[in-house]
Amino acid sequence: MATKNSELSSSEIKISVKHLNVGFPLGEKQIIKDVSFDVKKGEINGFLGISGAGKTTIIRVLTCQIPKKNWEGEVTVAKISPEKKSNHRELLSKIGYVPQLENLNLYYDLTPMVNVEIFASNYGIDKDIAVKKAQDLLSILDVPEDTWYNKTRSLSGGEKKRLSFAIGMINDPDILFLDEPTTGVDAAKRYDVLSYLKKINRNTGTTMMIITHDLEAAHICDTVAILRAGKLLEYGDPKGLISSLPSQGQIARLTIEDLDRNKINKVRDFAPVKKVMRSGNEILEVFMEDFDINLSKLVEYCIHNDIKIISLSRDEATFRRYFQIRIKEEEEREQRFEQGGGH
Amino acid sequence: MSGKSRDKHKSINDGKKIGDKDTGLFRLKKMIKKEFRLLGTDKMNLLIALVIPPAVIFLFAFMINQAGETPPIPCVVISSDSNSFVNPNSYVETTWDNYTFAYLDAVDNHTESLDLLAFYNTSEEVYAMEIAREQLLSGEISIIIVLNVEFSEMIIGGMPAFIESVPDSSDIMNIQTNLNAVADSIAAFTDLNNLTPQFVYNTYEEFSIPSEYSFQYNYNITLTLSFIIFGISMVLTILVVVQEKPIPRLLLSPAKREEILLSKYITYMMILAFQVTTIMVVCLMTGLYCRGSLIQLWIALYTVGMTGLSLGIFVSTLSNTKTEANQLFFALFIVIVLLSGIFIPVDAMPLPLQIFAYILPLSHGDPMIRGIVTKGKGFFGFDFLCLMALVAALILITFLIMKRKRYEV
Ligand SMILES: Nc1ncnc2c1ncn2[C@@H]1O[C@H](COP(=O)(O)OP(=O)(O)OP(=O)(O)O)[C@@H](O)[C@H]1O
Ligand SMILES: [Mg+2]
Repeated sequence: MATKNSELSSSEIKISVKHLNVGFPLGEKQIIKDVSFDVKKGEINGFLGISGAGKTTIIRVLTCQIPKKNWEGEVTVAKISPEKKSNHRELLSKIGYVPQLENLNLYYDLTPMVNVEIFASNYGIDKDIAVKKAQDLLSILDVPEDTWYNKTRSLSGGEKKRLSFAIGMINDPDILFLDEPTTGVDAAKRYDVLSYLKKINRNTGTTMMIITHDLEAAHICDTVAILRAGKLLEYGDPKGLISSLPSQGQIARLTIEDLDRNKINKVRDFAPVKKVMRSGNEILEVFMEDFDINLSKLVEYCIHNDIKIISLSRDEATFRRYFQIRIKEEEEREQRFEQGGGH
Repeated sequence: MSGKSRDKHKSINDGKKIGDKDTGLFRLKKMIKKEFRLLGTDKMNLLIALVIPPAVIFLFAFMINQAGETPPIPCVVISSDSNSFVNPNSYVETTWDNYTFAYLDAVDNHTESLDLLAFYNTSEEVYAMEIAREQLLSGEISIIIVLNVEFSEMIIGGMPAFIESVPDSSDIMNIQTNLNAVADSIAAFTDLNNLTPQFVYNTYEEFSIPSEYSFQYNYNITLTLSFIIFGISMVLTILVVVQEKPIPRLLLSPAKREEILLSKYITYMMILAFQVTTIMVVCLMTGLYCRGSLIQLWIALYTVGMTGLSLGIFVSTLSNTKTEANQLFFALFIVIVLLSGIFIPVDAMPLPLQIFAYILPLSHGDPMIRGIVTKGKGFFGFDFLCLMALVAALILITFLIMKRKRYEV
């Protein structure tokens, strides 16, 4: 399948990043270390990572906000490189941007429609066309029509956010960049915001790049990138990543009485077990090969070894779980590396 | 394990009940402490609150104390006190009677409050009075002293001699000072020459306003007009850049920084035209007498407004927060008013202050506007060029700051 996609030709690639390094200054304080990835046309791409990983920095490079002296690598956005200053305006005319905070994007004292008009005019779009387009977008985004001509200040937080999306889309961008679109949205609405993004993506086919530390966002992403300390740990579609876990993401969750190190090691010694993770006082998560066959054997093994199982459930790893596992693995690997270096 | 954690909890609180300091006074004290902390986070605020007032007073004191004596009043003396005759060789010759030179000596060497720039003899210089008026108009001199026909003869004859003076009444504040200086010179003259003071001293005010206009009103409005225009144009623009939060977002579209800034200049220049017009109309309706042309006045007011506008946008571009911009405005405005020349003439200031004052807009704007209103001069001149240079410099610097300013979303 991967080959098939790449056969669809490279003309479909909207963002291409090869060996990107960013530093302040470059070469000394490296913030981004040798990051490479492609985003294809029509994809929603999610950049995930804990705070300070460098997500915003990458998007700043892509949107011409970091001077060339601070980065190196081959980067193209909509086939235009942000490297040359003379390219910036053309590049910026092909992208949309939705900042994290609405007050950076909207004139609160003007109406949504006037806001739309102001931003549209920067792309050389006439008022009539802009209004028409905005009406379509705001309808898709369920921004109530009776708010369109009120002061933007009086819109609800969610409506402001969606207006912000509409403005990001006003120039039919090749790529829409979104910075933390779900931050500051309450848990119930977060899902709404994400599904609106999916809706825009479906209706318009716009390529999107979302940076977020909201792991729920992975649900709407076609590809996700996991960034840690400036390095790209993983890149791929979320399902594929989850199934790259041992036992294709199947987990046996055991609650074990008086769980201790000995007991954990015992479980780990069971041959089909690939990976064991403690998650809570008495809970152990176990990944095995040939999961279905080996699950009952695991129970027998425990009984045989005097490990008392209080309860057992079978689960499928979510992306959240995958992310935690991957980050933890990386931390352990680093620790081992450091200890190894110390001896 | 849970038992352990309970022990720990206990030791932190040392057996005391949490929140046993819950009294109003305690809270108030902590809130005051918080206020101080917040105050400390805004260094600019503190600087303006604590450093600017004493600095301004220091500046004021320095300006007043170090001010040289008020500079002597520039004057010319015109004398008609001569017997001219046509001699056999047919050229005009003048014989000067004693007392004209005696008086000139008194003015030139014995009257500190006067500075004699020129002396005209009406029988040699037929246009003496016109020349002197030109000088008065240009501000080169502040008073014309005229010695009348038979000045010396009257004195010799023991009769009262006539002296007339024409002070520049456009400089309303200083009319009396000017007249007093002439009186000084008469006193010196009588002393030096052992005369009994018998003089008829007449004054005619040049450029005074017609009687149907209110002197009080015109005096005050002329004094404040440039300050009003400068103030309103600056206060209107002081926040235009700093408070526009979506600028960084605009910059992620093809919009250019220069375009954003330029659009602000154009907009506020249009508003300024409207402001200047309304202010002028209201002034005229309420009894302003403008000796010069109204178009000249409009252009002059607009130029002064441009300095306020470009200084406002400059401060707004320079500042990172609204508070910072407001405070810079306040500090700048005080200094500009202080050094405008209405408290102490710029020429009387200590040299470093003079140089500084000449960079500031009102030290040029005020004389330019008063020149048009009270003397009927034109706007074009040194003051106008200085103001234009200031505007050009401010706009240039503002664009450079904008170009380099960091905007991030
Ligand atoms: N201009 C700069 N100069 C120096 N260091 C910088 C600069 N910009 C970013 N950094 C550093 O780069 C690191 C990554 O920052 P970045 O904003 O990209 O993180 P992030 O992944 O977006 O984090 P968050 O999720 O908290 O927004 C941080 O440690 C930050 O301090
Ligand atoms: Mg960030």
